[in-house]
Amino acid sequence: MSPLQSGSQEEFVPASQTELSRFIAENAAGNHRQLFPVGGRTSLAVCCPTSQTGIQLCTSQLNRVVDYPVRDLTITVEAGMRIDELNKMISAEGQRLPIDIPQSNRATIGGVIATNTSGPKRFSYGTIRDYVIGISAIDGQGNLFKSGGRVVKNVAGYDLGKMLVGSLGTLAVISQVSLNLRPKPQTISMVWFQFDSCQTVDQALEAIVTSGTRPIAVEYCNAKAASQIAAEARLELPADQHILCICYEGPENEVHWQANHIVSEWNQYSPLSVQTVVTEEATRLYNAFTEYQTSSDDPVTLKAILLPSQMMKFIEMATRLNIAVQAHAADGIVFGHLPDSASSLDDVQQILNQLKKTIDPKTGYLNIYQCESEWSHSLPLFCSPPAGWNLMQQFKNALDPEHVLNSQRFNELVEI
Amino acid sequence: MVDDTSQTINLSAPVLEKLEAGSRPFSILIQKLTGIVGKTDILYNADELLVYECDGYIVDKSVPDIVIFPTSTAQVSEIVKLCNEFNVPFLARGAGTSLSGGCLPIGGGVMIVLTRMKQILELNLRDRYAIVEPGMVNLHLTNALKGTGYHYAPDPSSQGACTIGGNIATNSGGPHTLKYGVTTNHVLGLEAVLPDGSVIELGGPTAEVPGYDLHGVYVGNEGTFGICTKAIVRLTRDPEAHRTMLAVFQTIGDATRAISEMIAEGIIPSALEMMDHGIIQAVEEAFHFGFPLDAGAVLLIEVDGLEVALDAEVSKILEICNKNNVREIQRADTPEERMLIWKSRKQAFGAIGRLSPSYCTQDGVVPRTRLPEILEFIEQTSKKYGLRIVNVFHAGDGNVHPILLFDERDQGQIQLVLEASEEILEKCLELGGSVTGEHGIGVEKINFMSRIFNETDLAMMERVRNIFNPRQICSRDKVLPPHASDNSPKVSQTHPARRAPH
Ligand SMILES: Cc1cc2nc3c(=O)[nH]c(=O)nc-3n(C[C@H](O)[C@H](O)[C@H](O)COP(=O)(O)OP(=O)(O)OC[C@H]3O[C@@H](n4cnc5c(N)ncnc54)[C@H](O)[C@@H]3O)c2cc1C
Ligand SMILES: Cc1cc2nc3c(=O)[nH]c(=O)nc-3n(C[C@H](O)[C@H](O)[C@H](O)COP(=O)(O)OP(=O)(O)OC[C@H]3O[C@@H](n4cnc5c(N)ncnc54)[C@H](O)[C@@H]3O)c2cc1C
Repeated sequence: MSPLQSGSQEEFVPASQTELSRFIAENAAGNHRQLFPVGGRTSLAVCCPTSQTGIQLCTSQLNRVVDYPVRDLTITVEAGMRIDELNKMISAEGQRLPIDIPQSNRATIGGVIATNTSGPKRFSYGTIRDYVIGISAIDGQGNLFKSGGRVVKNVAGYDLGKMLVGSLGTLAVISQVSLNLRPKPQTISMVWFQFDSCQTVDQALEAIVTSGTRPIAVEYCNAKAASQIAAEARLELPADQHILCICYEGPENEVHWQANHIVSEWNQYSPLSVQTVVTEEATRLYNAFTEYQTSSDDPVTLKAILLPSQMMKFIEMATRLNIAVQAHAADGIVFGHLPDSASSLDDVQQILNQLKKTIDPKTGYLNIYQCESEWSHSLPLFCSPPAGWNLMQQFKNALDPEHVLNSQRFNELVEI
Repeated sequence: MVDDTSQTINLSAPVLEKLEAGSRPFSILIQKLTGIVGKTDILYNADELLVYECDGYIVDKSVPDIVIFPTSTAQVSEIVKLCNEFNVPFLARGAGTSLSGGCLPIGGGVMIVLTRMKQILELNLRDRYAIVEPGMVNLHLTNALKGTGYHYAPDPSSQGACTIGGNIATNSGGPHTLKYGVTTNHVLGLEAVLPDGSVIELGGPTAEVPGYDLHGVYVGNEGTFGICTKAIVRLTRDPEAHRTMLAVFQTIGDATRAISEMIAEGIIPSALEMMDHGIIQAVEEAFHFGFPLDAGAVLLIEVDGLEVALDAEVSKILEICNKNNVREIQRADTPEERMLIWKSRKQAFGAIGRLSPSYCTQDGVVPRTRLPEILEFIEQTSKKYGLRIVNVFHAGDGNVHPILLFDERDQGQIQLVLEASEEILEKCLELGGSVTGEHGIGVEKINFMSRIFNETDLAMMERVRNIFNPRQICSRDKVLPPHASDNSPKVSQTHPARRAPH
């Protein structure tokens, strides 16, 4: 069994978990080649890995449904299943996985779990970590292990699923997952508010804390991002100021009531304009928000993670620096796309320095999400090592002692 | 194929010291520990220690040598460092409501009780989190939030007593798990003293922290990864309104079909609790709620959310119940009536005392749609062993709590209860479920671990435990079955628990 050559990259496409685990075990016992798990390959360049010389472990044939007991609202699938396919199947039963996933025609469930992908809806539904009830994976030595199970409530043993969510394929290759599903909501509505300043946006956001409504998502975008998102959604929406777009889902009367109610609640912040978008158009707008966060031809895309109460300070500076900004505003997650004018490493570094000044180093993080490949070695990818960094390295050593699984990826994430 | 048997790591757990009361090392240790917490916050006299010989799981007992009540992280760290220096085992205890023996100090040693660390360090509504000390009683946090429009969502039935630290260690659930999730869905970060005495922070108050989700791995460790000294938890909006109903069904089958249909219709109630025939009779005899004595099952159904949507949801639920031969439905229209309905559920256990001198509650899980099968199996098991078994449980999650009634004085019955429990849990596994939905493995279910997981799975869990707790000095011999070669003290189950059920 030898890997195939595809383009410039060698690739191995296992047909079963067993085949994959045998391949990894042989590698661990043999020549210790670097292995790169890949799913839909939608974001292999994200977080700037160095050049990948080694073998891609491609999950495209691990794409079967293992079990779908519809009425239990759970499903077990192999990791290479594409998100669109998964969605199609569960949608036919009136169910969904309430996680926003860009490029869902290519992205795989394994990739989504490995990257802990999330979007606007995380405000009310949490992230994929809250939906994984069981997981199987293969570590760097070829050991196929599982944790959890297929029932929604289960506390037998340690929760190794959490360890793998967001682990970027550095600890193990995820091979199979059991997920908790939710019913599909009846309808969706989005209210697009235009405000004149970051201060007013901040006040409106603060009022969400005690709003009589229960938003599903609260998206902020500055004028630059707003016009691109509206264009992507093919909607004529005012987009020359700060936008807060608030999303409701559920039964029709509830959604309708909430959309009206938020307009009266936010009246006191004197929005420059308000527009409500419903049903099919709302879905289009929602998808545009989901895709925009990570899609980019821009020189640098960055991601900041901040306390919501400290977010607008950062956004104000970013806007001043001509960055297109989108934020999952009630969660404090900000994506920024740098303008083409940031054409040299020097420019970018200057911009980053300005931005960092607005972040409280105790609670905030700034990552380079994507950038021109020649800059990737020079840009600090994280502001500071995350809490528990030493323990994290011990996890890496315990699961992948030979450091053959995507071994650069995680190390690169931290500026030590 | 991977050779499963070759994966086991050589643990060679070190032999920890057994403290001899009155010995010189014992006296020195007491002296040093007293130096850390002061004279009033340490116990070591035999009669005072007896209280700590077990938790809510009273089957097995083991007395700690020393019980200590630190008031700060720094003190916990110093205590743990001393235990390492003296090579004695230690473990954390919250309120001691664990039902699987999590607080059993196997091999004696030092018990670190966290109940004096119970401050709220920060409440932040704008960023929707609270930072609390681990000894904070679960309900006290929600009480402190009254009037803000927020609460702490995980609500184990023991919430009036159990601590947030204990909840994190056991990943507690409760009646509202179906809609709001279990503890792990509400923990953003934490501080812990590792078994070597070092202090670490994992996660944080922001929505995510780069790197591995180590606080996620920590939740549910059952006290074996060190001592949690601070928790950052998510706060949840209060629902604007509730609708609470009691639906009386002729048969269990009708009730479980109604549950399945509700979920299939897209209704996720905030609670779906079931009581079967046996428990209805007991409750009725004791409290006279007015349940028909011949009913097969009663379902407590609660939905919550915005006022504007609830009546439509209730109509749908009524329709589904009617389709499934509901006999009658009582609705709570006032907060007082809602409390009364919940009282019938919560007092179910008080009623059991009238039925039998002793009882043992199990904690199995099956996929929701397999509830009829497991309940039928429980009934058969009851007949087979000639034991009375009644059921009151979290039906929406498939988490059954069969209560086996027996007389402790009769050795024969004790053996039957053990065997019947085992068969029921085996059946849960066979139906695709688990042997514990919320109580944990502890010492009680350790023998089941190798039936649920294979050697490689267990070896991986061991590897993860060893990252935190390589010497197994912290809460030894819990969760993972010991290796055959280990010479550590073993606990074997000889007696069913006479546990407080919920
Ligand atoms: C660090 C990171 C964070 C991201 N966060 C977000 C976000 O918050 N919001 C958003 O909208 N999009 C995000 N994305 C982009 C994108 O949504 C996801 O990467 C995508 O869903 C992954 O699916 P994929 O199958 O295309 O994975 P790929 O692009 O093929 O792989 C992405 C990463 O996951 C690993 N991986 C893939 N499959 C497996 C597997 N079976 N087992 C183990 N590891 C595997 C790869 O090694 C690689 O490191 C993120 C991407 C990255 C790299
Ligand atoms: C009447 C009753 C009803 C119950 N209802 C439910 C229910 O609905 N849902 C549910 O999930 N459980 C329930 N339980 C079980 C129990 O209440 C929970 O497991 C609870 O989380 C234990 O909290 P505690 O503070 O009492 O912990 P303890 O019993 O003191 O300890 C439990 C475990 O946690 C560890 N631990 C405690 N504190 C810490 C800490 N700070 N750091 C590290 N480890 C620590 C201990 O070492 C032990 O392993 C119930 C118990 C009773 C008696």
